[in-house]
Amino acid sequence: MKRLTLLLTLILGAYLIWSVEDLPEWGDPTSPASTYLSPHYIENIVEETSVPNLVTAILADYRGYDTMFETVVVFCAGLTVLTILRRTERKNKKVSTPRPQREGSDIILQNTARLLIPPMQLFALYVIAHGHHSPGGGFQGGVILGASFILLALSYDLKKTLKRFKESSMLFYSGLGVLIYAGIGVVCLLLGKNFLAYAAWSNFLGITELEAHSHGMLGVEIGVAITVMAIMFSLYADLASGGDLDEGL
Amino acid sequence: MLDIIVIALMVTGLFFFFGTTIGLHRFPDFYTRMHAAGKGDTLSSILLLSGLALYNLHHLSPDTVQVSLKIMFICVVIFITSPTATHAIMDAGYESKVKYWTRRKDSSAPQSSIEPGKGEDT
Repeated sequence: MKRLTLLLTLILGAYLIWSVEDLPEWGDPTSPASTYLSPHYIENIVEETSVPNLVTAILADYRGYDTMFETVVVFCAGLTVLTILRRTERKNKKVSTPRPQREGSDIILQNTARLLIPPMQLFALYVIAHGHHSPGGGFQGGVILGASFILLALSYDLKKTLKRFKESSMLFYSGLGVLIYAGIGVVCLLLGKNFLAYAAWSNFLGITELEAHSHGMLGVEIGVAITVMAIMFSLYADLASGGDLDEGL
Repeated sequence: MLDIIVIALMVTGLFFFFGTTIGLHRFPDFYTRMHAAGKGDTLSSILLLSGLALYNLHHLSPDTVQVSLKIMFICVVIFITSPTATHAIMDAGYESKVKYWTRRKDSSAPQSSIEPGKGEDT
């Protein structure tokens, strides 16, 4: 069986290498992808969406479906880790590993964390809100927000952090983010346009269609950020404590 | 004049980076290596970044001043975080009883009033 798999892999690999010849040159301006689609984005993105950052506009508007299901993938990954690691029987057999003597009492780490966490969270909100104009967006800002909670858990201990950000609220927020994203799309449907066609919001909010595109993108970025933040910290808490959330870094 | 200051800062920064690298490579054990990495890295990063911030002020305008202030802000963050990270790694090494280098033959474990790595629930 192994040999058969190896043979198949080799044949497929050789075939793929052989077919590379027919691909267009790297960065070739006459290749199909750069002939129609890319120039359309580059020329029309500001007129169509009023967002100067091409990456954000393509990610959250033209390919809104793709990004929505990326968020769902993040959500599912978090739930999967939680489901696999949470086994109640294991708690009885669990060997308690020796804990460091001065765990959660390092005054240097704690004061640095207290100094750094507020600017970190403020910067994360800036990254989320400024994704239209500069590099950034929901995924990046959400990761920074999640990292601020991880820093809190690293410098104090997991239990103290879980008092502030309970597991039930992690699950609530991870679902809420996806719901915000999908909800914005569903409202577009109810207002008589396609799913995630943000222009539908214009009459509802009393703004032009262009502004509605920009505001819709901000809305979905906020949804993405909430899910990514909750799942980041949930992954850390589960992996650091072996799924039991009782001890760990 | 500005160029001379910038060159002096950058060369000093590179010198300290060189020292850091040699220290990281040549020191005998974990603790002394971390000492070299933590101190030299922080100082040389700050010297290099200050040099860049000053060089940026060649065309004095609100924009370049803003960029220089941002670079100096990065300096502040490095000054806070880099020694803290070094401290945390060092502390973790001490807790997990990493052996330290000594010329004496009998002492192979860290000697101090508190026994390192002795958890409460062991």
